[in-house]
Amino acid sequence: METIIGANAISLSAVEKTFTSGKSTVQAVRGINLQIEQGQIVALLGPNGAGKTTTIDMMLGLISPSSGSIRVLGNSPHQAISSGNVSAVLQTGGLLRDLTVRETIKVIAAMQECTERIDSVMERTSLNKIAKRKVGKCSGGEQQRIKFALALLPDPDVLILDEPTAGMDVMARREFWQTMQSEATAGRTIIFATHYLEEAQNFAQRTVLMSQGQIVADGATEELRHLISGRVVSASFTTESQADQARNFDDSVFITERQGLRYTFQCANSDQFTLALLQHFGARDIEISSPSLEDAFIQLTKVAS
Amino acid sequence: MMTTYIQVEFARHFRDGYNLVFALLLPAAMYILFGNIPSYGQSELGGGNVKFYLMISMAAYGAAVSTVSIAGTVATETMQGWGRQIALTRMSPTTFVASKMIVAATVAAISAAVVFVLGAATGAVVLDSWIWSVSYLITLLGAMIFACYGIGMGMILKSESALGLASGLMVFFAFFGNVFMPLEGVMLDAARFTPMFGYVALARYPMLADIPADEPMSSDPLWMIATNLVVWAMIFAVFAVLATRRAKARQ
Repeated sequence: METIIGANAISLSAVEKTFTSGKSTVQAVRGINLQIEQGQIVALLGPNGAGKTTTIDMMLGLISPSSGSIRVLGNSPHQAISSGNVSAVLQTGGLLRDLTVRETIKVIAAMQECTERIDSVMERTSLNKIAKRKVGKCSGGEQQRIKFALALLPDPDVLILDEPTAGMDVMARREFWQTMQSEATAGRTIIFATHYLEEAQNFAQRTVLMSQGQIVADGATEELRHLISGRVVSASFTTESQADQARNFDDSVFITERQGLRYTFQCANSDQFTLALLQHFGARDIEISSPSLEDAFIQLTKVAS
Repeated sequence: MMTTYIQVEFARHFRDGYNLVFALLLPAAMYILFGNIPSYGQSELGGGNVKFYLMISMAAYGAAVSTVSIAGTVATETMQGWGRQIALTRMSPTTFVASKMIVAATVAAISAAVVFVLGAATGAVVLDSWIWSVSYLITLLGAMIFACYGIGMGMILKSESALGLASGLMVFFAFFGNVFMPLEGVMLDAARFTPMFGYVALARYPMLADIPADEPMSSDPLWMIATNLVVWAMIFAVFAVLATRRAKARQ
């Protein structure tokens, strides 16, 4: 590797992307600044339409930004791709249905000039069993695994994955992340887009939250986990003063929503809080849940601003 | 990197029975059908016989259709995400298109060769033997102008089944391009402006060149044939570029 450890693997400055079709224009990405150091594992977290795929497509040189600049390993995205140091698992399309699994791997390996890695990559991604199957006959999860194998072929320094577990069931997702864990070797930069909070929590050191084409929060995943480690507790009260008393139960409790006498609280220790609600504050119809990604957004945007 | 891709492409196309039937068997079958009607097959025509004339016609049709169907996959595969996958490799899009063109040219060459071999075996005759090879080469090279047509249609229609429409239109072009049966009068005048006319007329030119201009089945002058060929090649090239731009802008 000619690049210096600790240097930026990816750097986006003031990147914007606007799509125009006919008379309507869509601002998919509205000014993103993002520096990702080499060796980092970063999750791009956000709901559908947040601009994750557009951002990734620009990092890969598949589309050009309307304005702003993108550097990948110090070069343009296009140069980085042709040097074979960057590869990706794309979300949409990407495979020919009438090729067999092995043919697909063979063809891309030839294009990447790394045919000697075919066998080891197929082994590591457990594709040997279905090597002779037509791609069109593979399940969604298997197709994702093929795409993952294609991305591993050039032994990339930077690996970019756009919702790699889309279309996988729970088991396939677990297996995928196990394989992924063993591929996250020292020095390899990994960036993945997901809308599963859990995937970001389990795998990324750093999480970048995107919403409506902007980065709304960016920090260590640990911080994110901490921020949303509490529980959401909803309860109905008979009087407002009961709710006020409940709110003062401890420092971590605050009201996130109120509809008449039905209150929704955010709290750190839901067990103790719920007990107190029942014993002291006359609460009824208690519901306890984990905060959703939307809640995390609300919280993190508060923190960010 | 090109060799592997070309090998796998061949494996693909030969597995796909549909392509095989339309590219290789249909032109051969049509030659057998039309070329062996005893009433006129052996009749002399220009520097050869009617069978030789029909052999060129069917070989030209087969080569052109093969080219269209394979070139068209450049477009449909690009639009269906395979292009994105290839864009992430070291292989340039130019090499991708070049590989496809090699495959298209090879299948066209096989398709035309099958008809030529059948012709030789069943009594297609020409006086000067060089006409065999020159006619074959013209058939092959001329077919390449239809690659642009295939790419353009693929970019506009985007789906693989729609490529059937592109190939289907070729039957229409062939019929009105004086390929399948000799046209006369107003039909022939109109045919001179259609895309397959110049191509097939050039392939037949060596065998028909010596027929005096006022006799039936005489060839059109070379400038007229060349103009048709060049103008249509340009139209298809522009069409392919415009269709590609439109498709990419909408992607």
